[in-house]
Amino acid sequence: MLFWLVMPTITSAADTLTIYSGRAERLIKPVLDAFTAKTGIHIELLSSGTTELVNRMKAEGDRSPADLFITNDAGSLELARTAGLFRPLNMREVERAIPPQFRAADNSWIGLSGRFWIVVYNTTLVKPDQIKSLVDLSDPTWKDKIAIPNAGSEYLQAGVSVIRASLGDDHTKKFLEGLRDNAGTQVYQKSSQIVDAVAKGQVALGIVNHYYVYRHLATQPAAPLAVVMPDQQEGGMGAIMNVAGIGILKHTPRVENAKLLVEFLVAQAGQKIFADLDKEYPLHPEVKADPALVERKSFRAALVPLTKLAELREPTLLLIEQVGMR
Amino acid sequence: MIAARRLAVSPLQLAALASAAFILLPLGYVITLALSADLSVWHRLWTTRVPELLWNTVSLAGAVALLTLMLGVSTAWMVTRFEFPGRRLWEVGLVLPLAMPTYVLAYVYNYLLGFGGPVEHLWQMVAGPQARIFSPQSFWGVTFVMALDTFPFVYLLTRSALLSFNVSFEEVARTCGASPLRRMLFVTLPLLRPSIVAGVALVILYVVSDFGAVSLLRYQTLTYAVFQQMTGRSDNQAASILSILLVILALLFLLTERWFRRKSRFYQTSGRFRAPQRIQCKWVHTAALTTCLSTVIGLAFGIPVSLLVTWSLSPEALAILDARFFSFVWNSALLSTLAATAGVVVGLPLAYLASRQPTWLNTGCLQAAYAGYVLPGPVAALAVLVLFLKVLPFFYGTVIVLIVAYVLHYLPAGLQSLEPSIQQITPNLEEVARTLGLTVRETWRRVTLPLIRNGVIVAWVLIFLQTMKELPATLLLRPVGFDTLAIRVWLEASEEYYQLAAPSALLIVLVGLPALVLLLSRDWRAA
Repeated sequence: MLFWLVMPTITSAADTLTIYSGRAERLIKPVLDAFTAKTGIHIELLSSGTTELVNRMKAEGDRSPADLFITNDAGSLELARTAGLFRPLNMREVERAIPPQFRAADNSWIGLSGRFWIVVYNTTLVKPDQIKSLVDLSDPTWKDKIAIPNAGSEYLQAGVSVIRASLGDDHTKKFLEGLRDNAGTQVYQKSSQIVDAVAKGQVALGIVNHYYVYRHLATQPAAPLAVVMPDQQEGGMGAIMNVAGIGILKHTPRVENAKLLVEFLVAQAGQKIFADLDKEYPLHPEVKADPALVERKSFRAALVPLTKLAELREPTLLLIEQVGMR
Repeated sequence: MIAARRLAVSPLQLAALASAAFILLPLGYVITLALSADLSVWHRLWTTRVPELLWNTVSLAGAVALLTLMLGVSTAWMVTRFEFPGRRLWEVGLVLPLAMPTYVLAYVYNYLLGFGGPVEHLWQMVAGPQARIFSPQSFWGVTFVMALDTFPFVYLLTRSALLSFNVSFEEVARTCGASPLRRMLFVTLPLLRPSIVAGVALVILYVVSDFGAVSLLRYQTLTYAVFQQMTGRSDNQAASILSILLVILALLFLLTERWFRRKSRFYQTSGRFRAPQRIQCKWVHTAALTTCLSTVIGLAFGIPVSLLVTWSLSPEALAILDARFFSFVWNSALLSTLAATAGVVVGLPLAYLASRQPTWLNTGCLQAAYAGYVLPGPVAALAVLVLFLKVLPFFYGTVIVLIVAYVLHYLPAGLQSLEPSIQQITPNLEEVARTLGLTVRETWRRVTLPLIRNGVIVAWVLIFLQTMKELPATLLLRPVGFDTLAIRVWLEASEEYYQLAAPSALLIVLVGLPALVLLLSRDWRAA
């Protein structure tokens, strides 16, 4: 009994990997299970909030039991990198599979899948041509009709960072104030909750990551949901892109196993599982996205590099707080 | 002689001091963090978020307190003063909601009362297709859910006070010609006041520190905001500033409560004790009482549990019942047992000393113990994390870290029951035992402990139940691969996977039931 109390609960067996994951468990566990089935390497998964896990890894330092960190935001990955938590990787498989704009400069984190911040709307309440740009959402005509993520969500922070970089602080502030007023109390913790609210007609539209919409449609094809890929108009900033990715922790003694996992995830087969299961855009150029999704070649992404998200974040947070978003 | 006596108590004193110091450490850490924040951070928070958060928190606590006061006292009155068929069943039934975590109730009602949910459908059949019912994601929704879940605190303490209530007080009043209403208002209720206040105090502290329900119902309180600040940003200063506000709020409240209790302390001075005679009910009264009680229990326990059972039997839910799932059950039960035991061991010296030797030091130690309850769960967890990493790195990543966080957070719940149970025994009994030649240790074993045993049991069970349901600290501190049932409910329910969250939620309830039975065991009279 005493032994059990005092001993850390994870065994440091050679064929085990410990992963901190900021992604919804449902979106990542099947992929990891496929890895275990293939290699026999057992995986201990700790699912929690992204920023919360970065904080935890920072506090734990060298004592962290984590071998890898998987999460849904390039900004958080870059933050972890600048905090010196990651180990740079030299792997030909990665260089071949993932284009350089989706990786850290030193390959200490690697993007695995792409996601876009889109507008989801209820087809019985909104006409598709009513929205062209995210900025339109701050228009008073949408008062009490919008659902938005809370101020702590990383993709809100990343999205606002890109808007700031594209349009400047003043415009962004006006946009946020409008959004805050239009959303009222419709501020949600999870994208799935926003999609649900839009599907039920509780709100007319919402801002979410695209794949939550397609996941919802996959289980409930009759839901009155549709997607606007925003800011594609002439001179518009382009859709806001982020990646989910992975980093290997600096102090891990299980580098070889960790590399095996990364290899598995960036290879065509791994990317295919991601694409099919999660409805994200695979980053491997030769893997196709789910046919239900908007064709990737048919729209533009905003030009702000993912590696800049981390340095943009602090002033973005300040702005979000100044505006008083929840 | 005096020196010898001092020496004899000193281990107890030391233990109390040590626990108080340990409990204060996290608070100290948070205060330091908050004070080291730049003034502009304070200013920003104050001008943007604080007024709303403060108002939301205070008004919610007030509304829930009022509602639980009414629910708790009236139900306690019904089952202790009336005799009717099924009374014993209701007596037990009213405690059941304690096994139901607030966030489970929140997620059930989110579904039931939510937009496009079954209740709304029913209502629209009656009142037309555009009709809306009140949203669970509103002030009244949160109040409703919280009150349904926490009224048993008031009920339990009031009931036990009513049961151990010496009826001779009322008889004296009657012989003096007081009417039943006057007797109730001027004799019974004032005598019950310490218990009622203690119950409402538990409720308020619970509401103020709740994280799970408010986040599922998207109602912004200080604790929720603290969690958001902590998990959505990479610095914890803003979180610690908001925590300080919470601490001040809770301190103000605790001081008020102390003052209430100071003014009313009663001792049972003679061995003569008679429980009040119950009023025999006719069938009309029985029907009325049964309707009242079944509505309350149905809303707080029956409906949610039947829904959880239905969900748990769905194919999606049955698919997750594997070995992994049962490890969550084991983790939860074991953690709660350890935390409850540790809580009682730490709490007893504190409560005893403060009650028997109320020096400023001892009372101070006791008050210090309340720090853990006013410190929001997420922040207490962060402080525990940092302190362990700095002071006792060897234990980091073990279950001990979690248990420390639990004891820190739930000790006050235990103290709320340990304290009155010690206060109710007159010190004379112990003094007599000592004069008759018993040593301090023997007095404890043969006189004090048997008399407070029930208080100890209640304290243990309360801590056990609350640990079972605990969320934020577990979220932040759990070792890898050590999920609890509460974590599973949280992970699934926050993604609106109602069916998948149900088995874990149901099990939290089921594991809590034996503890509740213990709480209600036949010989239990004092809390």
